[in-house]
Parts: sequence; C-alpha cells; structure tokens
Amino acid sequence: MVRLGMDAHWRGSMVVARALRDAGMEVIYGGNQMPRNIVRMAIQEDVDIIGLSSLSGNHMMLAPEVVKLLKKEKVHDIKVVFGGTVPPDDIPKLKKAGIVEVFGPGSSLRKIISCIESLKNN
Amino acid sequence: MGVKTEIFDKKRFKEIKTKTAKWEANSYSCQKKLKKKYETLSGFDVKPLYTPDDLAGFDYLRDLGFPGEAPFIRGVHPTMYRGRTWTHRQLAGFGPPEETNKRYKFLLQQGASGINGVFDYPTLRGYSSDDPDVYADVGRGGVAIDTVDDMRILFDGIPIDQVSVSLVTCQPICNISMQSMYFANALDRGIPLDRLAGTSQNDFLMETATTIAPGVLPPQASFKVSCDAIEFCTKNVPRWNPISFAGYNYREAGCTAPQEVALVIAHAIACSEEMLKRGLKIDSFANRLSFFLSAHNDFFEEIAKYRAARRIYCSIMKKRFNARDPRSLMFRFHVQTAGVALTAQQPLNNVARAAYHALAAVLGGAQSVHVDAYDEALCTPTELSSVTALRTQQILQNETGVTNTIDPLGGSYFLESLTNRMETEICGILDEIDRLGGLVKAVENGWIHKEIAEAAYKYQWAIENGEMPIVGVNCFKIEDEVLPIELFSSPETLKVQKKKLQIIKKKRNATEVARSLDAISRCCEKNGNLMELMVGAVKSDLTEGEISQALKRVYGVWDPPLF
Repeated sequence: MVRLGMDAHWRGSMVVARALRDAGMEVIYGGNQMPRNIVRMAIQEDVDIIGLSSLSGNHMMLAPEVVKLLKKEKVHDIKVVFGGTVPPDDIPKLKKAGIVEVFGPGSSLRKIISCIESLKNN
Repeated sequence: MGVKTEIFDKKRFKEIKTKTAKWEANSYSCQKKLKKKYETLSGFDVKPLYTPDDLAGFDYLRDLGFPGEAPFIRGVHPTMYRGRTWTHRQLAGFGPPEETNKRYKFLLQQGASGINGVFDYPTLRGYSSDDPDVYADVGRGGVAIDTVDDMRILFDGIPIDQVSVSLVTCQPICNISMQSMYFANALDRGIPLDRLAGTSQNDFLMETATTIAPGVLPPQASFKVSCDAIEFCTKNVPRWNPISFAGYNYREAGCTAPQEVALVIAHAIACSEEMLKRGLKIDSFANRLSFFLSAHNDFFEEIAKYRAARRIYCSIMKKRFNARDPRSLMFRFHVQTAGVALTAQQPLNNVARAAYHALAAVLGGAQSVHVDAYDEALCTPTELSSVTALRTQQILQNETGVTNTIDPLGGSYFLESLTNRMETEICGILDEIDRLGGLVKAVENGWIHKEIAEAAYKYQWAIENGEMPIVGVNCFKIEDEVLPIELFSSPETLKVQKKKLQIIKKKRNATEVARSLDAISRCCEKNGNLMELMVGAVKSDLTEGEISQALKRVYGVWDPPLF
C-alpha cells in the first residue's frame, strides 16, 4: 500500500491497510512514493497486489505510470488497484490504463477486502 | 474554587429529581422502538432528557460568567456577533499564482472578508515545482509558490495592509519560506510589517503526525522552526498570528472531538514553554496564539467542544503560565466545516451538511469560518461551488437571526452537561500527554499516530456496520447515480512554474544565492532564529526547494512511526 507522489492524506490508506491486515493479509505500507520506487519495492517484496492511494488529483499522471513500469520490467503477475478521490469520468480511463479496480470515496471496507481476496486468488 | 451558589431552590430541586425519575420509569421507558444506547460521535452517553439535576453544584458566576470575561465560555468578546460578525474566510488556492490571484479578487468582490490561501502539495512539503518527484502534484490542492516573485504575483493588486490574510502553510518547513516571502513582498511594496494582519498555520504536527510522509524534518527540528516564526512575529509583526494549531487537520486525520482539542491545547502549552525558555514574557506572545478547529456532524457535541476549549484554555493560561493580559487567556479560533464528512455521492447534499456544521461553529462562538464547497469530495471547488459556500455563511449571518444574542445555548441543561463531560475528557488526555513528557515526545514515540489511527479505524467500521448513518453512502442511496455537477479542471501549472523558475535561475546573482543558502545552513547549525535571516534571504530569489534542502542537510530527515 503506497500513497502516490506528494499527496498528503494518509487516513484512507491507513484504514484500508489495517482492514486488510485484520482480514488476514500481509500488508506492507510504503508511505509516499513515486512510480519507479513503487515498482522497485513491489518487486523486492514480491507482492501480489499494489494498492495506490491518492486524494490529490495526481492519479491520472501517476497510476498508469506504475502499470507501464511493471510491464517494462516484464512483471505480469502483480495487479494494481487504486483508491481515493477520483472523479467518476476518470474511472474508465484508469481501468483502460490497466488499473484492475478503482475504489472511490465512500467505498465499503468489506467490498475492498473481498475484491482484494478474489484478485489474489485469481 | 469559589463559594458554591446553587442556582435552583433546594426543595424544588429535590422535587425535580424525584419527578424526573418517575417520568423516566412511567412515561419514557415503557415506549417501544427505543435504541438501547444513544451516544455522541465521540462516544459520550446521551440521556433522553436533561434537567436541573444534571447541573447540580453549578455556579453561574464561576462556571459561565459573561462574554469577554474569564473563563470566556460564553464568548471571547463582550459584544460577540453584535459588535463584529465572524470573518467569512473561504479557502482558495489552485494552479499558478496568476490564477489564484483572480479567485482571491473574485471572492473579495463577492463579500468575503478575509483571504485564506492554501498552497499546493509540493509547496506544503517544501519542494519547488521543478523537482523531479513533484510533477504530478504541481498546482493541485492549492497554489504553487516557488519564489518571492510568485508571492508578488499572488497578492498583486490586493490591499494586504487592509485585508487580513491567512496563509495555510501547514508545515513549518513550508511556513518558514512562505511566511518570509510574504513579509519580504510586503516590505518591497512599502508596507511595514507592523501593519500586516493575518495568520499562518505553521504547525509541526502537520509535518510529523497528521500527514505522514517519509523524509520529513524530525519533530524537534520541525517544532523549533515553527517556534522561530512565533518569536520573529512577536518581535516584529505584532498583528500577525504566527501559529494556528491545526486541530481541524488532526480531526480530519481521524481524531475524536476531545482529542482534537486536547492536542491543540497541548501544542499551545509546548509552544508557550519554548517561548518562555527563549526569554519571552507570556503576555508578549500568548495573545497571538490562535486555533483552528473542525465542525463535524454531531451538532451539540461540536458546540460543547468549542465552549469547553475556551474554559480549559483560560484556566491553563492563568494557572500554569500566570498570564495576566485577558487576550492571552482567550481561545480564539477559526472553523472549517468537516471535509471528511462530505460525500462524493449526491454531492449537493453537502450544501445542507456544511450549513449545519457552520451553524454549530457560530453557536459555538467562532471568530472566523470557512464553509466547505459541495464538490470537495470530488475536486477543487469551482467558482459556483465556492460562491454557494460563501452564500451559506451570508445566509446564516443575515437571515437566521443567530447573531442577535450571545451564546444562545448557554444554560441548556444538555449543552452545559455535555460541555462539562467534554472538559473532563479533554483534561484527562492533557494529563496523559504531560505524563508522556509533552507533545514533542508524544510525536517522537508514535503515541499520537497510534491514537489518531485507532480513532479513524473505529470511525470507518461504524460507517461500515451502519451504526453511523451517512446519507447517500450507507442509507438513502441512489444506484447508478449520474453526477449532477460540473467538476473543476486544474489550469496548466507545471509549464508555467518551470518557465518562471528557468528565467529566475538565469537572472539571479549566483554568488548571492550561494551566500544566502550558506547563511541559512550556518544559522541552523548555530541554533539561531531562521526567520530573522530568511525574510532578507528570500530576496535573492532562493527557491523554496533550495531552502528546504539546506534545512534538511543540517537537521536530517525522519520517517514517522507507522500505526
């Protein structure tokens, strides 16, 4: 779980990270990172899923970049999800860019947990 | 303790007590459909009915008194909103300074009575717009300011010797540059510093606890840098509030109402102790310490919170610090309606939410208010949503009659009882922070982070489990809602800022830049007051990023403990 770029809000990412941990998953919390570091960390830690969080509005510039860098590193088994403040119009754009799931404001914790569990098992 | 003067006749009081018990047993408890438990947002039990019994031992003169007099629970001014209404201070900032300057002028034309300027994420974190790590955030969440020239553009044509300006600098590493640039620009315009009125946020918890990020200034250094600004303003800018303890942001990060107030007061205690250590007298700076609180969903609890804060603060400043100037005893505060309470679902509902929040702030005696715009859970406010928020304040002030009398809820059995309960809770947390060795220590060892995270987690599960109804989110939902509003799109910022930086870096005197940066490093090493130096240093066109790097080279960086 990482926060994209300079975004200052940690509440959402922390609450979701904790909920996933309490649901029995191992969560690594990486704080604020730029795409190249996110991908490096993800490969080093051999994660199944990268959770990106941002409320700053930087998602269209940085989230697709994470997917692109993973492809460049020839990593195909790490999935990327995004959560945060995202205008509805951006959701299909993010999905088209390879983000497998997008959780907007007000998303249910249980839905996030079950979505991550099913992504992990697929 | 004064002599107890019962405000109720003893015989009648007994009768009230007996009859209340009877009413509860016979008329109330036999009703069906009652919930087992009623409580406030912060978890205080709420009874079905409050009576004089809840104010047993209550002494009007000791516990309430009069507005403008200690303990200030009924308000800090003798006339409150009759004499002067609260300042309508709407937050604004986005894109390059050229664009935000236009929004400031627009809001002032529309009747806003103060400026509340917010900076973009890189600026708040101490980075310049040309840093390779920040390209995606330039101009987002606030205005991008890199040099003193940007500050000139931001306030161009605005009478800063007449309008009070709040600089939402959040973190000390940002504040030291921004506030210095603001002062340098004023001097350049021929306005002496003692004519400037305003506030800067400058809160070290913002850097180290409420917006966790790797590589920030260590707590002690961040606290020191913020205190440099307080000391500088005390000596040179007497009408400036050099710190605004940002309880609002602690609350947004997850705190409860009593934690929010306990943390701001603990912070004021830490700053006061530091200023005394630096040889300043309490009454020379305490009258300029200011507070920033949230207005959240629980209407009465929020009002009780503001009132309790005033009473506790007055007592601490009197007893712990021997403050004598009445202004040093006053808990003066700005309120922002809770951003975290806004929903992206059915966003126009946020107009109603923010109006209730603002009403709580005004019934609680706030000095200035920002009402959130309805689209803030989705984007930066548009011109329409900003004006609607401003109009919400104007309707509250001009149409509802709430300004006619002072502290209209004072004396309510429920509210006074809740204010007392709130006070007990806040004082308990303050004692705990004292036991931990003060606020800076409580940040260093991660206690604050744990407390905030714990409360945020509990809050989210309460929504998830439906215990906390949120209209449009866990009840009264609209499936496949079509967004009824237009969203804001950020103006081009990165190119504009980068171009200006290129020109400035070419034009400026490199020797002078090196000399200024060297002087900053030496000042850090010698533990000197950074702001005394910085107001002059920024004139050599230093960028904010260069200043931050100089600070981090000396102080090092810190990774906050995780939850």
